[in-house]
Amino acid sequence: MVHALEEIHRLVKPTGILIDIHPVAEPSPIEIHQGEKIEPVGDLSIRQWCSDYQHADEALTEIKQRGLFMVEREGMFNSLTYYDSVAEMRADWKAAIDKFARDAQPIDESVSHAEAMAARAEELMQTAASGTELIVRERVHVSRLKPI
Amino acid sequence: MVIRTDPENNETRALFDMANFSGQHVLEIGCGDGRVTWLYADKAAYVTAIDPSDKLIALARQDLPNRLQDHVEFQNNTFEDFAAASKSSAFDIVILSWSLC
Repeated sequence: MVHALEEIHRLVKPTGILIDIHPVAEPSPIEIHQGEKIEPVGDLSIRQWCSDYQHADEALTEIKQRGLFMVEREGMFNSLTYYDSVAEMRADWKAAIDKFARDAQPIDESVSHAEAMAARAEELMQTAASGTELIVRERVHVSRLKPI
Repeated sequence: MVIRTDPENNETRALFDMANFSGQHVLEIGCGDGRVTWLYADKAAYVTAIDPSDKLIALARQDLPNRLQDHVEFQNNTFEDFAAASKSSAFDIVILSWSLC
């Protein structure tokens, strides 16, 4: 990650900027929304994702300390993903988790955790009325960095 | 199957709060299927968007509107290889699009 940031420092013009967008290293709440009613399902906590985001934070801290970039502005926002069904949510998570298999990282724990969350959502969705949506809420950090 | 991500446009607002894309040459790293690219591409002078996934780049190219054909280029490439072949000081804005990991 730090090497990639060094390369970005080379590629960006001295007058240019780097914008980094990545989720914060914390579990993402899953909710069922039915009109105004919000029912919590649980927190999606994929260890590899949190670990990656933690490493991203550390890499940014390192390049700031080394004087390659300085933060000009930063903020946070909520990114919500809406699913009409548990099947949609399962398929989306599967694609994301499969990426770790390609990266040769262990995925068993992530698969079982995601499946437990999906099963819980399925149980709650069975008693829900039509028009119900499943939502995963991610907290995202965005920063604007200037090369030094 | 329609999965909607950020229909509230929170990410768009955050992105435009960070930069003015007008007339800028942008490199987007980890563009995936172009979800973030579409947020700012109309404003930029030229966009080079890269991702190592051939499947996602194919989706991005498929969704590329005619009006953006001349100034958005999707490349199926790793950042490492892309950087090795790129000149220094080539971009006004570099975006790490959910990809610094």
